Amino acid sequence: MTKYVIRRFLGLLPTLFIIITISFFIIRVAPGGPFSREKALPKQILENIEKKYHLDEPLIVQYGRYLLDILRGDLGPSFRYKDHDVNYYILNALPDSMVLGLMSLCLALLLGISTGIVSATRQNSVLDYSSMAVAVIGISIPLFVVGPVLMYIFAIRLDLLPTSGWIMADGSWKTAIMPVATLTLPYFAYLARLSRASILETLRSDYVRTARAKGLSPSVIMFKHILKGALLPVVSYLGPAFANIVTGSIVVETIFRVPGLGIFFIQSAINRDYTLIMGTVIVYSVILLIMNFIVDIAYGFMDPRISYT
Amino acid sequence: MADTAIKGKSVKETQLPLDQFGEPIKGVSLWLDAWRRLKKNRMALIGLSIVILYSIIALLAPVLPIHSYKHQVLDHQYLPPSFTKTAGQLLYERQEALFQQAAKDAGFEAMPAEYVQALEIFREQLATETQEFDGVAVKVHERRYYLGTDGLGRDLLSRIIYGSQVSIAIGLIGTLTAVMIGLIIGSLAGYIGGTFDYIAMRVVDVMYGLPYMLLVIIFMAIFGRNIINLFVCLALVSWLTVSRVVRGQMISLKNSEFVQAARVVGASPGRIIFRHLVPNTLGVVVIFATLQIPNFILLESFLSYLGLGVQAPMASWGSLVRDGVDAVSIYPWMLFFPALAMTIFLFSMNFLGDGLRDALDPQSKNVL
Amino acid sequence: MKKLVLLLFVLCLALPAFAVDFRIGNGAEPQSLDPHLVSGTVEHRIYMGLFEGLMTYDPRTANPIYGVAQSHTVSSDNLTWTFTLRPGIVWSDGTPITAQQVVDSWLRCLDPNTGAEYASLLTDVIKGAAEFNAGTGPRSGVAVRALDSRTFQFNTKVPAPYVLSMVCHYAFAVVPTHTIAKHGDRWTLPENIVSNGPFVLKEWKPQEVIIAEKNPRYWGARNVKLDRLIFYPSDSYATLYNMYIKGEIDWNTQPPPPELADAAKLRKDFLTEPELASYYYQFNQTKPPFDDVRVRKAFSMSINRKELTEKITRTGQIPAFSYVPEFAGYTPPKGIGENAEQAKKLMAEAGYPGGRGFPEVTILYNTSETHKKIAEYFQQKWEQTLGVDVVLNNQEWATYLDTRKVQQFDLCRAGWVADYQDPFNFLFMWLSDNFDFNDGRYNNPRYDQLIRQANSMQPGPERNKVFAQAETILIEQDHGIMPIYYYVSQNFIDTNKWGGWYPNLLNNHPYWAIYKK
Repeated sequence: MTKYVIRRFLGLLPTLFIIITISFFIIRVAPGGPFSREKALPKQILENIEKKYHLDEPLIVQYGRYLLDILRGDLGPSFRYKDHDVNYYILNALPDSMVLGLMSLCLALLLGISTGIVSATRQNSVLDYSSMAVAVIGISIPLFVVGPVLMYIFAIRLDLLPTSGWIMADGSWKTAIMPVATLTLPYFAYLARLSRASILETLRSDYVRTARAKGLSPSVIMFKHILKGALLPVVSYLGPAFANIVTGSIVVETIFRVPGLGIFFIQSAINRDYTLIMGTVIVYSVILLIMNFIVDIAYGFMDPRISYT
Repeated sequence: MADTAIKGKSVKETQLPLDQFGEPIKGVSLWLDAWRRLKKNRMALIGLSIVILYSIIALLAPVLPIHSYKHQVLDHQYLPPSFTKTAGQLLYERQEALFQQAAKDAGFEAMPAEYVQALEIFREQLATETQEFDGVAVKVHERRYYLGTDGLGRDLLSRIIYGSQVSIAIGLIGTLTAVMIGLIIGSLAGYIGGTFDYIAMRVVDVMYGLPYMLLVIIFMAIFGRNIINLFVCLALVSWLTVSRVVRGQMISLKNSEFVQAARVVGASPGRIIFRHLVPNTLGVVVIFATLQIPNFILLESFLSYLGLGVQAPMASWGSLVRDGVDAVSIYPWMLFFPALAMTIFLFSMNFLGDGLRDALDPQSKNVL
Repeated sequence: MKKLVLLLFVLCLALPAFAVDFRIGNGAEPQSLDPHLVSGTVEHRIYMGLFEGLMTYDPRTANPIYGVAQSHTVSSDNLTWTFTLRPGIVWSDGTPITAQQVVDSWLRCLDPNTGAEYASLLTDVIKGAAEFNAGTGPRSGVAVRALDSRTFQFNTKVPAPYVLSMVCHYAFAVVPTHTIAKHGDRWTLPENIVSNGPFVLKEWKPQEVIIAEKNPRYWGARNVKLDRLIFYPSDSYATLYNMYIKGEIDWNTQPPPPELADAAKLRKDFLTEPELASYYYQFNQTKPPFDDVRVRKAFSMSINRKELTEKITRTGQIPAFSYVPEFAGYTPPKGIGENAEQAKKLMAEAGYPGGRGFPEVTILYNTSETHKKIAEYFQQKWEQTLGVDVVLNNQEWATYLDTRKVQQFDLCRAGWVADYQDPFNFLFMWLSDNFDFNDGRYNNPRYDQLIRQANSMQPGPERNKVFAQAETILIEQDHGIMPIYYYVSQNFIDTNKWGGWYPNLLNNHPYWAIYKK
């Protein structure tokens, strides 16, 4: 087991390296570049800018230079935002995204799993159908609809909440409500359905029947026996879900003016801001790889049927 | 063994072993068994029929007696939904309300004569004005818009129906592709294990980390923007999660008893994987797939939001919802009806998925 | 005595309550605060709070009025301009602003190493500037000089009457060269920055807020009535609109979401004003079918601009039949008008009667709800009137530019906002050697000749007449582009609450004029 853990962990670095390499070259295939303008820059100026950013060097040299910079922790200057470098934007934006993401994910986990348990244990009851109905609605409606509708109802019509802003950005605590609610919805829905399905399957298995036959109380059975096995798909889902939610949702952050990382994912692609794109890719990949690694290990602990030998 | 033939039953049946009631135990195929169980699940059947209904309507769209989805009648912009009133009546009422408001603002008790006259002229025009549709002159203001119109005077009902063609196709085909790729790769990785598994999962890890948005932009730029490329782009990323889940299930199950039994009997790995293990994972995969379909539809709408989805004037549920969300405070039907159509479809898919999961779960075999 | 102290103490606590904050909903996060490195209206609005050039804008007319300069003279041939700076004018850190700094600022903009996008404004006009900027000429060859610590002089290539208007633009900004020398690329950070405008940068949190406080050292500080400018960046029209109607911002600079145009129009604080800006389509004239002038005219004559602006864009845009909008001193040609019957006849003459045999053509446009609606409108209009097949091609910005630059389109949506008030700023784009904007490759030597001639003439009605002649060729004879409408600026601000803010042709609103009523 320990061997597997070590092997897996060491495997993270080459994976990250491959992601960085592929991304580095592939983003330059997109038409246009960071300096494409309707009114093209004069040749001399373009040359100077390219020289300044080392864009005139052969691609492989730029790549090598970039790798060395990363090792020193320098993600480079942003091609679009000329007054700061990529490190600055990421270090400023990531905490906001993380707080929003963590709040939403915790809420989603809490509500989702409990809903899943309730639904599974009362299968085909009114409670089951209604909570699954809410869950389906949660994954049927895009975030860019939920957000504005919430904003319209609570900020404009009912005038209960501010339209936008963020607690970490000098906003009141009220500003956190709508973004968190919006972002929680799809994850809660997903988790509710996933855990319900998984618990239902586990409920039928032999070891649960054994536990019941032994006369254990339902809650003990649930929490001590069922959940450990049933939550495997949930754990599996959490890896990418955590990475996605923590690096920011562009929709929620744009609509509610949360100064997070999400908006940079799309904007940097549209602006062809190569360094910022790479910065976001690296942040996302690192978090994703670490989370997947943790999930894999957790898998091993949670399901005794799995052996990694 | 003709003399032991039992009346009313075929020879083959007569040779079967008998259960405690003296009835022959028929070996059933997995799928027939599943279908029988599915039939008993009412919600799933409702879901299935709604999905079929949607698909039929989507397929028959060109022959249905509905307005064109792309023909703009600029006079009919932003009309509210109405089953009884024609467009002309709605326009007249709107104008009348405007005049009344103007009269009130100006301080008049009743509407001044010139307004009344203008209204009369307007009424005449509404009754007689015609426009050409496919070469035929039609009294355009006698049209009815059951679900209202959008900002270019296009019928929302027909746009939703034509949009369903795009969305359903994206959802079903995309999911099917993603699931198939994910199943194959995930089950092979999980069963074979070792280096193959390691490499496969590292490939999955790498693909997860790549900047999706840029990949889509590049892909569209190189290969052009059409529906096929949209499918490919959407499928590109979605098979990853399926493969992880399937692999996880494989790893849990590959050492269970029934697998060992199959090995003892001498079944080849291929047969073990696809005949025995995969059906056991189908439950979670099916639930995953039904959860993935909305994802696809939503992903397409997100791409529309960024200008990378279906090209105008074609619509999808996602693009309709995107067009409608800004106007929710003054023209709520533009958001409400497409969202409702989408939600009902996804609802049905989910109940169907639940039913399929229950039906396909081999552990509930022979349990009513 | 103790009571007095207590009173003063209480008053000091209450003072912030009397501070006047002006909250602005700006638009996307600015690319930079360095005036030489920016090119958008978002950055321009921030620039106007922090910096001031030789001239600045009159809040009512957007005409140039004195800023850092106190007076100017111009030689009789209109080629030499001399400005006198205000006595005692200083930066926010107390350093005096000198004429030499003006020289160094302009040279910095022209310096090819700076990479300034708007250096073109200087290279178009100042003698020796283009050569220095292209790297073919020396720094010393640029005709700018400081005659003494308060007198600044430069020579123009042509007698450009729009110099005063141009000099308000941030390309001609006066920057704190001493601060830049000290801090290099980091000079715009709040802890380093030094400015000469009515406000000084206090705080800059990316994607969140930019706060500027009143600059006590501004030469006109006495008249500045606002205490703080607070800029909120947001890409979402809907969010800014909601923020405004809820009173969370005082000035929303962005238009309402297109579907809410009707709701916005009912509001008295929604102000629209004709702008010196044009929305148009380019024709790809390098290949059929739009290499034929009859086809171009037919397409242009078969749409209904009034219907388009009333029903589609809905916020008071003005139907355009010429490229340059009419403004003080310039009367554009009348254009070819709209006539569906005539259009059909032209198509038949060109060999496509009723649209038969006409190839499928594409409209290329960049992502925007408005561009989409307009393109859809045209698609149906041309199909109905001319019987042709039109396909829409929506691409995101960089891909759209790329596609445009290689002439991979038939029709292409474009827009242009004037940098300064002169017809040259519109018409230079259609010179046959202009590879920046002229992606349809419109080419008429007579047009080129007239434009260059007009640009070298002395200011006056004769000059504008020649421009109008050229535009007549562009529009009425060749119809090299299809004008659609003139923009209107769209702003949300309650002028019952805020004075000193006026809608004007360039949509420029200097903050030193704004006060709370």
